[in-house]
Amino acid sequence: MFENVIQGIFSAAFLASILRVTTPILLPSLGALVSDRAGVINIGLEGLMLVSAFIGVVVSAYSQQWFGPEVGQAIGPWLGLVAGVSGSVLLALLLGFFHLKLKADNILAGLALNILGSAGTVAVMYELTGDRGNTSTLASMQVPFIQLPEFINQIPVIGPFLFTVFDNQSAMTWIAFLSVIFVWFLLYRTPFGFHLRATGENPAAAASVGIPVIRTRYMALMLSGVFAGLGGIHLSMGYLTLFQRDMAAGRGYIALATPLLGGNMPLGTAIASAIFGFFDALAIRIGTLQIPSQLPQMIPFVATVMALVIYALQARQVQIIRAQRAAQGTDFNPTYWRVLQRLSVLHVVLGMIAVIGIIVAISLFAAPKGFGGEAEAYPLGLVVAIASVILIALNLPFISHVERIRQRTLFSGVATLVTLGAYLTLFLLLFRPALPLAIGGGLLLAALVWVMLGGLNLVRSAPTGAQPA
Amino acid sequence: MNGKARPYANYLVAFVVGLIIFLLTSYRVFGGGTLDEWMESFNATPGAGGILFVNALVGISVALFVAQLKWNALRVTLTVVAALIFGYFVTGLFNLDTANKYVQGEFIVALQSDAEPVDQDDIDLQYGRQRGGELNNPEASDPLTEARFTFAGNEGDVITILAAVANRRSEVDLEVALLSPDGEALASSTSSTPEQLEAFEDLRSEKDATIADFTLPTTGVYTISAEAEPLSTGTIISEAVKATNAAYEAFLLGPLGRPNRWAVWIQDALTLILVGLSIAIVFRARQFSLGAEGQLYFGALVSGAICLAWTNLPPLLVVPIALLASMTAGFLWGLLPGVLKAYLGANELVSTLMLNAVAVRFYELVLTFQIKPPTAGYTASAPFPEGNILAPIIPDTQVTIAVFIVIGAVIASWLLISRTPLGYEIRMVGSNRKFADYGGINSKRVIMLSMAVSGILAGLAGAHLAMGIHRMLILNISLGLAFEGVVVALLARNNPLVIPFTGLLYAYMRAGAQFMERDANVSFEVVRIIQAVIILLITAEALATMFRFRRARNVTTTLDQGLETTAAIEGKAHV
Repeated sequence: MFENVIQGIFSAAFLASILRVTTPILLPSLGALVSDRAGVINIGLEGLMLVSAFIGVVVSAYSQQWFGPEVGQAIGPWLGLVAGVSGSVLLALLLGFFHLKLKADNILAGLALNILGSAGTVAVMYELTGDRGNTSTLASMQVPFIQLPEFINQIPVIGPFLFTVFDNQSAMTWIAFLSVIFVWFLLYRTPFGFHLRATGENPAAAASVGIPVIRTRYMALMLSGVFAGLGGIHLSMGYLTLFQRDMAAGRGYIALATPLLGGNMPLGTAIASAIFGFFDALAIRIGTLQIPSQLPQMIPFVATVMALVIYALQARQVQIIRAQRAAQGTDFNPTYWRVLQRLSVLHVVLGMIAVIGIIVAISLFAAPKGFGGEAEAYPLGLVVAIASVILIALNLPFISHVERIRQRTLFSGVATLVTLGAYLTLFLLLFRPALPLAIGGGLLLAALVWVMLGGLNLVRSAPTGAQPA
Repeated sequence: MNGKARPYANYLVAFVVGLIIFLLTSYRVFGGGTLDEWMESFNATPGAGGILFVNALVGISVALFVAQLKWNALRVTLTVVAALIFGYFVTGLFNLDTANKYVQGEFIVALQSDAEPVDQDDIDLQYGRQRGGELNNPEASDPLTEARFTFAGNEGDVITILAAVANRRSEVDLEVALLSPDGEALASSTSSTPEQLEAFEDLRSEKDATIADFTLPTTGVYTISAEAEPLSTGTIISEAVKATNAAYEAFLLGPLGRPNRWAVWIQDALTLILVGLSIAIVFRARQFSLGAEGQLYFGALVSGAICLAWTNLPPLLVVPIALLASMTAGFLWGLLPGVLKAYLGANELVSTLMLNAVAVRFYELVLTFQIKPPTAGYTASAPFPEGNILAPIIPDTQVTIAVFIVIGAVIASWLLISRTPLGYEIRMVGSNRKFADYGGINSKRVIMLSMAVSGILAGLAGAHLAMGIHRMLILNISLGLAFEGVVVALLARNNPLVIPFTGLLYAYMRAGAQFMERDANVSFEVVRIIQAVIILLITAEALATMFRFRRARNVTTTLDQGLETTAAIEGKAHV
């Protein structure tokens, strides 16, 4: 059972499925990124996705009626795509109108948009099909899949791997990853992107140098509408050929968190989305094991909260370090502090992962019958809980106060070693080696990571400058 | 604004409006009619006194709304009316196909004559026979738009052709034509006269078509063509308006139709008031937390687990403990995003939405694997033991002692917001966090507590759903109630004393939408569309200025608004 999952996770097919489930997170994330950078948070992504997904399905289904079966088959998906994205952009414009013109709060107006998208699609669906659940009675179409040329399979060594990963992916997946490049180019290589970023950084300053703030924000919202719309199309026309009620399933909200996690950069956003894609794909895989499906389903949401926390903590640590730099002046040792920062982020991540252990333990205690009865679940829960608490306690001192890593280098090193070692040991255990081997390997790998991040550097060089106030 | 100059006028208006609402609701809910009929119905209804009592509370809520919001009450009312009108048009759009019943349906064509029937191989009809079919069936892949039947006739035969609906369900409006053997139209008809209705029993209404006593000019094979009369735009619109009016009548008056429908309204309002209070408290601190949903799930889960487990203890002990436990659960689940926001700066909107999803999964996990009896066919707990529920104050309804809990919650929230140090700090942080910090308020603690305290009320709402309404734990015990709470809180301008009214108002619309779906087959989602429109209209600050024309002359006010706008832009840039 476990072996299957493990083999699954390390296969090209799994990578392909990550790409697939990343697409509907990545596209709205890019939308969120663009609007964030323009200083107008677009909460309405979820609603935009739903509207676009629904319009796409309806238009593609009816295009066969309108243009005859042959022409309809050929242009239907693209017509659906264009119509869906247009609908999404129009709604984004509505948000812009209410926020920018009528001065409505953009968060509440965005919420209204989400309600409108969710309710409007269900209401129209009920009118069209008499069903409030999905549109399976409509013969809607799919965006075509892209087949790779066969020669890629012939490339030695990596050929077959690449072929499995990238062949037969939906056109929407390609569009999504090309969009990352497009957004990067737009933001950093065009005058419009410069205006957009300036508008987001400081609207007053931007306005004072003649940048049309309002118009730029309208454009940003429309762009976010385009990306959310594409994401919606992927949901209903990428792999499925139907629209389901509320099928965005929170992706529009997750998309609000990914740019934060990705440092508000296109590439970072893509990586953050891929992390969510990984969790999503993992949840689908784990779903085949004998554990309640709700548990893996929680992971992406818990991960989002963690991402927010990690982002916030990291931002705070950067602030502390900046304060140090200001205080120490020329004495400031940048390499040394960079190591500190890296290690502190590591502490945050390690502590956060242990939180999952707490959730697992609570689930074990709350619903032992779901995990093979109380006799099995309670002891397991106890062990998991104690271990998680210890691991969190080990890392906690260094999460909120970066400078403690410097004051107690040894403690920090041990904490990292134990926590990371524990995770890696658990991970290695999945491959069923002997226990000592797993522990040894785990600790070794952990030590390696610590050294690679510059832990030795910290031990060697004595801290310079005054103690922080 | 006016209230300052003439405070008593305001209270008088509030009292009168409240009294009118009390009288109207009490009149309608017992079926209206003359006073005697009303008294009879009143005496026949069990728990009628309780209904009057709750209606009095409704009246008080309305009076509070008018007294608290003053001129803004007008704005709120207008907003709701505007949204309702918008909803009317949406419903109308959905009803545009109502007139289709006149072009689709089952029909028969009957051919009558006293002459000798002519039998031939390739004909469809003979004298004295009838054929039928279904026109324009929307589900058919190739729907029948025009039916053609052939028959053979001799010169001089006097025939009568009837085209009529086939059964009661069909309402198709038919027209019929007789074509000569060379395809020429000989006669046609779109309707029947009252005399023909008398004479031929196949005819059901004047919309059916009759060609009576037609003498065939030659011998040969004739064709009868039957089709639906084309719809005129006027018919389409008038039918849509008629259907929409019927739907809106169900929507606007449905909840007051009968005492049990009235109870649906009140019990939903109790939940919404609790959720609305919860949202109002966090909104007061200017935190866009939507954690109410998750807190509600935890409140329901904890109270449900206690009610199910403690069957041996006296209910007088169990029920309060279950309520307290649900409040604690809500508090803790609200504390979590509160800490994350206050001390770590994690965006509360995203974090609460994610924590909601986690809470729902956790609820499902525990319910499915732990609480559900193994024999149960669907995912729900066993019904709570008889005593361990909130006792109804009106027999056979789910209007329970939760009424008093809600009154307590409203008063407590009001006291908290306007009469306690914490409330003062919440308001200060909400209006200007930097200024609050400067004034020595620990804004982090305040933000954390505002989210946790709001969780108490949401947890209570969960307990009310579990112990008051469903009396068991079910899957999807709440579908997006937090969003409904946003409307309730926004309409009330986050004022706890106004929330009973806005909760009742919105619950009234929700109940009405249920009855509209049941009675008029218009999707329930119309009410959520109305909800979205209300949020958009109520948050559109620029619209509000229309109601501030009196203050617009005041220069300082204009200046204030300018500063506010600048502050808003700056604030948003750093979100």
